[in-house]
Amino acid sequence: MQEPDVMYHIQMKAGDVGRYVLLPGDPGRTDLIAQSFDNPRLVASNREYRTWTGTLLGEKVSVTSTGIGCPSTAIAVEELNMIGADTFIRVGTSGGMQPYQRPGSLAILTGAIRDEGTTLQYMPAEFPAIADLEVTLALREAAQTVGVPYHLGISQSKDSFYGQHQPQRMPVSDRLLQRWKAWKMGGAICSEMEASTIFVLSSIYRKRAGGVMLIAANQEADEKNLGVVEDLTQLIATAIEALKVLIRADKK
Amino acid sequence: MARFSPDEIQHHIDLKKGDVGRYVLLPGDPGRCEIIASYFDDAHFVAQKREYVTWTGTLLGEKVSVTSTGIGCPSTAIAVEELVAIGADTFIRVGTSGAMQPEIKTGDVGIITGAIRDEGTTSHYLPIEFPAVANADVVLALREGAKRAGIRGHEGVSQSKDSFYGEVEPHRMPVSDQLEQRWKAWVMGGAVCSEMEAAAIFILCSIYRKRAGGVMLMAGGEDMDPQHVTPEQIAAAQALIDVRRAIKVAVEGLKVLIERDRAGVRD
Repeated sequence: MQEPDVMYHIQMKAGDVGRYVLLPGDPGRTDLIAQSFDNPRLVASNREYRTWTGTLLGEKVSVTSTGIGCPSTAIAVEELNMIGADTFIRVGTSGGMQPYQRPGSLAILTGAIRDEGTTLQYMPAEFPAIADLEVTLALREAAQTVGVPYHLGISQSKDSFYGQHQPQRMPVSDRLLQRWKAWKMGGAICSEMEASTIFVLSSIYRKRAGGVMLIAANQEADEKNLGVVEDLTQLIATAIEALKVLIRADKK
Repeated sequence: MARFSPDEIQHHIDLKKGDVGRYVLLPGDPGRCEIIASYFDDAHFVAQKREYVTWTGTLLGEKVSVTSTGIGCPSTAIAVEELVAIGADTFIRVGTSGAMQPEIKTGDVGIITGAIRDEGTTSHYLPIEFPAVANADVVLALREGAKRAGIRGHEGVSQSKDSFYGEVEPHRMPVSDQLEQRWKAWVMGGAVCSEMEAAAIFILCSIYRKRAGGVMLMAGGEDMDPQHVTPEQIAAAQALIDVRRAIKVAVEGLKVLIERDRAGVRD
């Protein structure tokens, strides 16, 4: 075991991160996101958890990768909470679910479908996974400032990537397809793999959480062959600008 | 004409297109509709059938309505279905509820951001994993409405339950252990109030792309617990159990929405 104050998985202790933490899935993306901080430094890298800390508007901010999926994400959020983080923004890529969404636009999450196994080990399924309104509004303002098209709505947080992309080859394909149809009819705007856990844990611990996702592609688009957008510039700019909005508001 | 078509008089609420405004307040109790309508301009009684009573009037010159849902999600889902069919697009649930967090005082209001789907109706629409979420702009309008009304608001999740007595007298239910365990989880999750209709309103509005929120008068928190406070303090708290406090916030919130809709503010 480590020294008691160093968190077991993320390999950090109090003081290593700011209260504001961006949460991408991919450890490789933390390096890119940290370039938008002032004075970024690599703090820790263990398993899929990689953290940079820097400042924005003079306030300490961090980015920690969660790895793919809710199990590793829950560990990241648990341990970041324990060392003082209180505001989380999930940042990542996702697939669109409504016909009007174009690749390159953003999804700002208001809640998440708990289509995963982790949060049931915290809360009965009936409890909604909801984003914090202040974080959602900061992201909306940020998207307007950046000038990128966006939609507010619900994400599907799923456990199986290939269950979404190739449902036909799964033994439970009928159920997967039926549920996908229900999520679409319910108005879900994107499919990703971590938001529900960040929201449910943040409800329990009275922390703030939101999420912004790049619509990289949209299998449900009205217009076909819109292609794939992999440029993260506007996504990261929106997340960074939202942090600034929150920092300014919190300083008042 | 097909049965249950949007163009006919709706089967349960006994209303047709034109009878209600796009903005509809949704109390549970039919008896409260007239009180709520007294806050409208030019209010008139429109219809009454079963537990569904409707009044329509105006606010800031805009047509607004109030329709009671009856108690529980089954009758509420019918009200929302039929109101949507005749053109309503913005719903605010208004009512009373039990406070679930220690810092909440009787007479404060809960502004609902989402609902625990602790009921049977919405599973007939969407799998249980789908969150029942309020519309952000309605929540913001109610936040502003509470400010204008000078009433303290607590934003958070409500428990939408099917059994009133399962909440207030869980010990006498055969499933009491389960009820008590789940109640503890909801409190730890940060739920602010317990009521019986919000989940159905939110889920149906997600499906039909309508806007919904809710404001609940809070009662029965620690400030009414004889183990914590004096009989005088309980009496003072009881005097604040007046649904008009929530109605004022709902009406002010509606005005905010009407103003913002006219200014073209949107997501």
